[in-house]
Amino acid sequence: MPERKPPKKDGFPKKKKEPVFPPALCAELNKAGLDTDGLVFCCTGDMDNEACYRDAWLAFDKKGFYTAFGKAEVQKAKSRKKQLETKYTVDEIISVPLDEIDCFELEQYVSTGRLVLNYNGEQTSVTRFSIGLAGDFDGFKKAFDEFKETGEYVYHSEDKEPNRCKKCGEPCPPGQEYCRKHNKSSATAIRLFKFFGGHWAQIAVILLLMILEAAVSVIVPQLSTRTLYDKVFANPDGLSQEQLLKMLASLVLGIAGIRIVRVLFQAADNWITGSIMPRIMFNLKTKIFNAMQRLSLSFYSSKQTGSLMDRILRDANNIYNFFVDGVPRIIVSTATMAGVLVVMFRMSWRLTLIALFAMPVLFATLVLGDRLFRNMHHRAWRYYAKISSITSDNINGQRVIKAFAREDDEFENFSRASEDLRKAELRLSLAEATLFPMLEILVFLLSTVVLGIGGTMVAKGRMTVGTLLSYIVYLEMLKEPFGFMAWVSNWWSRCADSAQRVFEVCDAKPDITEKENAVSMPDMRGDVELRELDFEYEPAHPVIRKMNLKIGAGNMLGIVGKTGAGKTTIANLISRLYDAKEGSVLIDGVDVRDIKLEDIRRNVGMVSQDIYLFIGSVADNIRYAKPDATMDEVIAAAKAASAHEFIMKLPDAYETRVGSGGQRLSGGERQRISIARTIIQNPKILILDEATAAMDTETERRIQTSLTSLKKGRTTIAIAHRLSTLRDSDYLAVIDEGKVIEYGTYRELLQQKGEFYKQYKIQSEALKTIGIISYDGGAEPEEDDEKKEE
Amino acid sequence: MSDGFDSRKISPETLAAEYVHPENCTFATAQNGFLSATINGTLYKRVILSRSLPLNFPDDYICITDADKNELGIIEHISEFPEEQQKAINNELSQRYYCPVVDEIISVKDKMGNFYFDVKIGDFKKSFTVKDISRSIRQMGNSVYLTDIDGNRFKIEDYEKIPPKSRRKIEPYLY
Repeated sequence: MPERKPPKKDGFPKKKKEPVFPPALCAELNKAGLDTDGLVFCCTGDMDNEACYRDAWLAFDKKGFYTAFGKAEVQKAKSRKKQLETKYTVDEIISVPLDEIDCFELEQYVSTGRLVLNYNGEQTSVTRFSIGLAGDFDGFKKAFDEFKETGEYVYHSEDKEPNRCKKCGEPCPPGQEYCRKHNKSSATAIRLFKFFGGHWAQIAVILLLMILEAAVSVIVPQLSTRTLYDKVFANPDGLSQEQLLKMLASLVLGIAGIRIVRVLFQAADNWITGSIMPRIMFNLKTKIFNAMQRLSLSFYSSKQTGSLMDRILRDANNIYNFFVDGVPRIIVSTATMAGVLVVMFRMSWRLTLIALFAMPVLFATLVLGDRLFRNMHHRAWRYYAKISSITSDNINGQRVIKAFAREDDEFENFSRASEDLRKAELRLSLAEATLFPMLEILVFLLSTVVLGIGGTMVAKGRMTVGTLLSYIVYLEMLKEPFGFMAWVSNWWSRCADSAQRVFEVCDAKPDITEKENAVSMPDMRGDVELRELDFEYEPAHPVIRKMNLKIGAGNMLGIVGKTGAGKTTIANLISRLYDAKEGSVLIDGVDVRDIKLEDIRRNVGMVSQDIYLFIGSVADNIRYAKPDATMDEVIAAAKAASAHEFIMKLPDAYETRVGSGGQRLSGGERQRISIARTIIQNPKILILDEATAAMDTETERRIQTSLTSLKKGRTTIAIAHRLSTLRDSDYLAVIDEGKVIEYGTYRELLQQKGEFYKQYKIQSEALKTIGIISYDGGAEPEEDDEKKEE
Repeated sequence: MSDGFDSRKISPETLAAEYVHPENCTFATAQNGFLSATINGTLYKRVILSRSLPLNFPDDYICITDADKNELGIIEHISEFPEEQQKAINNELSQRYYCPVVDEIISVKDKMGNFYFDVKIGDFKKSFTVKDISRSIRQMGNSVYLTDIDGNRFKIEDYEKIPPKSRRKIEPYLY
């Protein structure tokens, strides 16, 4: 039997062992002849070896590795209807003795992956799986490797059965009862309304004003039509001309008064709404922005900037528009409809019943029309989006377009997309032009029927002319709120959609968090160590593998490697922009995960190839790392970064506006400002990530001079393609595929004649080809060695 | 040079793609089911094939690499090779580029910015969620590629040939 107790091993949480499979599946596996008691790890797949969808369960114990194929069906429990249960059937179990497995390998294809078993140099395919399960299978492979190596396996917290949706059994986010599909929009609405907290009194007043506004509008036809016809025009009481005129005047004044009151209600309601909504939107926008600041870099790398901007601006505006325009109209429409229907019933219940009978037909037509238009609008919107992206692409790529004389092709491309949009919009307009008159005809028919029946009632003396006419006015009054109510669900779903996206950002948990009892290290010595470091951005795509490196305080380590070797990832891990998957990064012997984030940010400075200058003055940008820096410090930093000279040539010197829309600076100038920014930060550990990449030789020299002054008294980790920039390094590490393949001093590595030497020779040859005969300033330490060898 | 490395060896000839033809290359399916190849007399027990133009020219410009991802050559046209070898090549490619083919769209529900697809793949009913449709739904000619939120890909081979009801459901999301 395998060891069930978690062994004591550093770096792993000690968790209580839980059953690897659900009991119902264990029972089925037992029936099929597999002893599940000793199984130590499982993984669930969704395909068989032929890539046909089939449930698969993989597990191992001390004797062997097992793959079971079958079916898992989520269904409602017979006894407790609200509970879900899974019914399992196992068709096939494949067992492989553990000593016939060397290791597993994962292969990832376009849409699927494959688990391959290696034994004695031979490979056997175990099963295929959907690419989305690559992370799970990678976990399985790692668990197996650990088990094979140590004979034990520690239960990881991630292995827990995921939280399942109560409705469909699909995995859902922690703490939620339903998956995204079955998440109720009412929950989103409740959450949105919470933003109104603190404004309930104003909201109550708004509601009251809206109801009054609706009530007042219901009174108008009573005066303007019914009383006017029945009391003034019909003159049933035989009043004199003067009395009739008086009555008419009071009626007109009454109507005008009511309309004024209504406008006043409307103004008051708009005034209160207008005063509280910007505050609520301000709270919402700052909440999103604040949430985004807390999130880790991984969140930003997985989302496009445009989409993030959308979240802050468009989504918040969608919510704003719905609450400012939509909600008041819903309230007014509902109150108007209710009021009008009550009045109509009181006037003639027979006619109202006839009208109500026709309403569902009208409502159904409106809803169907809305669905049809929604699809058409969506299509038109997509063509519109296509045109926007073509336009943006065209503007950004003007230099290339002109260089290759492709203006005509670009125009044709744009014209094609515009033609598609024209067709989609034409179809939409035609559909609208057809459906809306049809609706008008329906309403007209309804009015005609009401008029016909009402006319008969008037003829029979059961109804007055004024009542009939005001009745028709009321019927017309129903048209607008009715149409609005049929369409508002679409508006609400857009608002809920935006709200959902906003809440997704607000709820997102940052990957990088500070421990409660994090160590405070305001003054670091600067010793850096990478210990057994493993890292991957995506599951099953390791970028750093079991890396070990040590840099003593005050030393400089140069990191060299091909593109994609993992150099920048090391920089990101040291500055804790990401956390290691396994292993650790230690600063002064303390794991970075245990150090206060503020202390890391203060003590680790980075000059990267991605230079970003914020909108503001040059001085503001330099003092970004230390907002309270004096102007003396700013100038000193700029001088140390060899930036002072060019800054003084700018029109407003240190007050020149840079960043988006500001003064255009060259790459070298921007880089020198960013170096000055890092100098002012005065970090103990300095990371130079391709700081001089893509610079001309002259600029590079200037920057190198700036960097030399910056490096003094600090631990420096310099990442570079150009080996010449790393001559001052105390040590150099050559990285390939996430591993250190060579380590030593510059001279030692050249003498080793390994990868570093190859790169050195390639760069030397390249420079000779373009006419720069002497690489590295003419002093080549290996020259002598080579001569000796020859 | 004593170390045998000569950077001058990196010449345009070295960098040029080396096309393989039936005269210098044969393919076979090994007993373990993997594809092997003999190129210029050297046997590679396992080779991996990748399409250069997977969407528009799936049978041309196939890149051959060994298990360590070193490029061994390029097949210009699969059709040049004998039928048996074509079968082995296509078998390897179909496994690598396997993409579940959607035969019918049962429903597409738009809720809170997520698009919930219930589809039929053969006899199997599959549900998946697509987000950000402008990026996740891609049309190439009559074929439509859908990528769900987990990165799984699905393909509609010819959207004009799927049942009209299904077509109407996917049409609003196509350019």
